[in-house]
Amino acid sequence: MKTFLGSIVAGLLLALPLAAQAGNVTVKGSDTMVILGQRWAEEFMKKTPGTKVQVTGGGSGVGLAALQNGTTEIAMSSREMKDAEKTKLRTRYNTTGVEIPVAKDGVTFYVSESNPVNALTVEQLRGIYVGDITNWKQVGGPDAPIIIYSRENSSGTYVFVKDHVLDGEDYVASAQTLPGTAAVVNAVAKEKNSIGYGGAAYAKGIKELKIKQGNEEVAPSAENIKTGKYPLSRDLYFYLRNKPSGEAKTFIDFALSPEGQAVVTKVGYFPVK
Amino acid sequence: MRRLANALLVLTLSPTLALAQQSPPTEEATPPAPPTQAPAEDGAAPATTSEADAAPADADIDERMTIAEGKVAALEEQNTETKNDLLSLKKLKISGYVQGRYQYQQSLDESGAGGFSKFSVRRGRLKTTYTTDWAQMMLQIDAVPAAPGVTVRDAEATLFIPGTKQQLSLTLGQMKWPFGYEAVQSSSDREMPERTRVIRAFLPDERDRGIKFAGNFLEGKVNVSVGLFDGDGIFNQGYVGSDNDKEKDFIGRAGFDLGWLSGGVSGWHGYSIAKAPSDAYRKAHTRDRLGLDAQVYLDVLPFGATSIKGEYIVGKGYWKSSGDVKVEQLGVPASGWYGLIVQNVGLTNAVAVRYDWFDPEHGKKNAAVDGRPASTNTVGTLGVSLLHYFGENLKVTAAYEMPMTAAPSGAQEPHDNLFTLQMQARY
Repeated sequence: MKTFLGSIVAGLLLALPLAAQAGNVTVKGSDTMVILGQRWAEEFMKKTPGTKVQVTGGGSGVGLAALQNGTTEIAMSSREMKDAEKTKLRTRYNTTGVEIPVAKDGVTFYVSESNPVNALTVEQLRGIYVGDITNWKQVGGPDAPIIIYSRENSSGTYVFVKDHVLDGEDYVASAQTLPGTAAVVNAVAKEKNSIGYGGAAYAKGIKELKIKQGNEEVAPSAENIKTGKYPLSRDLYFYLRNKPSGEAKTFIDFALSPEGQAVVTKVGYFPVK
Repeated sequence: MRRLANALLVLTLSPTLALAQQSPPTEEATPPAPPTQAPAEDGAAPATTSEADAAPADADIDERMTIAEGKVAALEEQNTETKNDLLSLKKLKISGYVQGRYQYQQSLDESGAGGFSKFSVRRGRLKTTYTTDWAQMMLQIDAVPAAPGVTVRDAEATLFIPGTKQQLSLTLGQMKWPFGYEAVQSSSDREMPERTRVIRAFLPDERDRGIKFAGNFLEGKVNVSVGLFDGDGIFNQGYVGSDNDKEKDFIGRAGFDLGWLSGGVSGWHGYSIAKAPSDAYRKAHTRDRLGLDAQVYLDVLPFGATSIKGEYIVGKGYWKSSGDVKVEQLGVPASGWYGLIVQNVGLTNAVAVRYDWFDPEHGKKNAAVDGRPASTNTVGTLGVSLLHYFGENLKVTAAYEMPMTAAPSGAQEPHDNLFTLQMQARY
């Protein structure tokens, strides 16, 4: 019996150090951030050949789930980690996780260029997305039904809009979900009576709605987002299980360096530094 | 047996025989007609017959567009219906876990009496939760081969107070007592196979029937859970499934959570109306507890995070196990505590060390009875556990626990060290 127990204990102890070995850097999560992550990876790998950085999307929820089950080193997220996700991380890894803001963004609502509506209040946007407002004439537009485009529920942008615009309410069932902000922009550009939302970086070829606040209309401009005046400004994050070390730390340091933050601007987001 | 083998052989060969009986293709057989091609529109690819059925070839582009739009509209309608169905399914969550074990315990003394070497299924949980904006139903059963077999662990009906974004709730049913840290923690998350002796004494089976209010305040930094319960737990001897008196127990915990540091203060006040061995008649025995708990999460070592947890409970009236049921030690003052350190090593391994101490009767000196420690003597237990995670669904735990019973006056301490190898699968 003693030999049997000894073998088990020795086997487990031998396995411990092997598991602590580091590999190449894996980055997974937010579709909003996937292009930014890929650009960072390309630039970083040019500077440090021999280090491989793999960047994949799937949505913030997917990235944070991968962080919890140990299949990614860095999770990209366009929303803050939820309490339930923090609890899971703490239960499994005895850590509260590490949150690093790496860029800024403003969630933008898009309409077709031919739509005469230029600005809406957050309440009007909520009305549209929960199904209380169904026709453009109810918000000063043409007499036409509103076609609603949304994102999948694994998307951080989906959660951000649900929390900050819909006040936690469910999206109307008729909202059509599309995979990625680029798909939303593409759909809105083709459908003249539609509305969609996504990151500012993708908003090309369609009209970005301003947000009405009292008598003022706030555009999702670089300055308004950086200063936080635009009400739907948000940080984009890297999440890690533990304090960054090794290649992951070098990659994050690069993303936060002037060179890395220049990539942020080039892609269309806003630097945090 | 031979007949069975013949039958199986026939069944196995029958498809081959059937194929062999099919006529081979002959030159006289009529070949399949090639798909007729509809006249193509300018610039459009030629359509096959089936496509022509869907959109007549001589129809103009507008007509074909109308047909296509109709089809898209129909698909959108179907999609909306499917999404509605999926939305209700998404509210349903089914989870569960099984803990299979091998355990070896030393013989209690030199005579070779006691001890065991056995396989068992410690827990077989199946949990169903259905959550809407305002309500939650949770039912959890435990199904194990040994007694008590299949039992209801949790059966809760919860109302999320409207307008509070599920931060305030009211629950009625059978649920965990809102007291302390370890009792509330899921057995599937614990690093050691069983809860500590002090928790098992004061909060056996961790559950009771009652009503509970729970709230999170200051963005979750402060949390409060208070409730009114029968107070007997779910396996109290003689009162399984019913209360033995009209007295209700008031139980609650006020906690804080700063991320790296969390903790709380718990309280319990109630009575148990029953007849103790020294009582002539039934009388009200105090059932009080006070608990303190704290958890610290540190990320300082390069190979993994560390957590340190501790809890202290003092009170009157606890339970002793007696087979499948628990016998209440009416009004007996007792106390205990534990400290636990868990160190993660890389992504898939962890080491846990725990020491727990329990004094089953305050004010009574440790003693010896017939050369053995008295049942009221204090017990300290040192446990070490090695954990390995195979992905997120499988965890293997190898734990060794060394109980140290106070043994004064030359009494022989029992040899009751315990080794547990546990495999836990969950989904």
